[in-house]
Amino acid sequence: MKNRLEELRRQRGIRQEDLAAALEVSRQTIGSLENGRYNPSILLAFKIARYFGMNVEDVFIYEEGK
Amino acid sequence: MTRKTREYSTAVIGLLLLVVGLYLAKNVEEPQGVMRALPFVCIGLGCGTFGYGVGDIISRRAVTEHPDIQKRIDVEKNDERNISISNRAKAKAFDVMIYVFGALMVSFALMGVDMVAVLLLVFSYLFVEGCAIRYRCKYDKEM
Repeated sequence: MKNRLEELRRQRGIRQEDLAAALEVSRQTIGSLENGRYNPSILLAFKIARYFGMNVEDVFIYEEGK
Repeated sequence: MTRKTREYSTAVIGLLLLVVGLYLAKNVEEPQGVMRALPFVCIGLGCGTFGYGVGDIISRRAVTEHPDIQKRIDVEKNDERNISISNRAKAKAFDVMIYVFGALMVSFALMGVDMVAVLLLVFSYLFVEGCAIRYRCKYDKEM
């Protein structure tokens, strides 16, 4: 699964630390999400989408067969 | 029981165990049976419990003065990626432990170690496997 987290964060000029604090996760989690090394739980995915005021499918892109 | 009371009781129980252990080790002459190991078990347990209790007291005092540190600790503790990593590591370690236990049982049996020791190891192995099956059933019903 791909995501647009880094792109959205940079667009809004938010630091990883600040995003992590707002979502109540560690900065490493944000880094791993942005690098695609970690897929979030459905709850965190909704939290992230809500934070950016978007739908989950606009932030996370599901790729069939990958 | 409040957290503070629990911490202080842990430290006091640890200290008492340590003192009792030291007293027994020093004063019991020519110990027989269980008394040969008991003082040292008390010392070991006492040191561990005392250290655990004092550690908790110190860390609570440190974070009470710095709520930002407490918040960071809570975030790190409840972070879903950290929990996921910890669970995966535990699962891997469990898989390894099953092989290690198996190899140890076979080795003990081949070495002709006392039957009681081998049977204890077999029963612990079966107990752990039983726990794994029990929790698999439990979570199967819950999820």
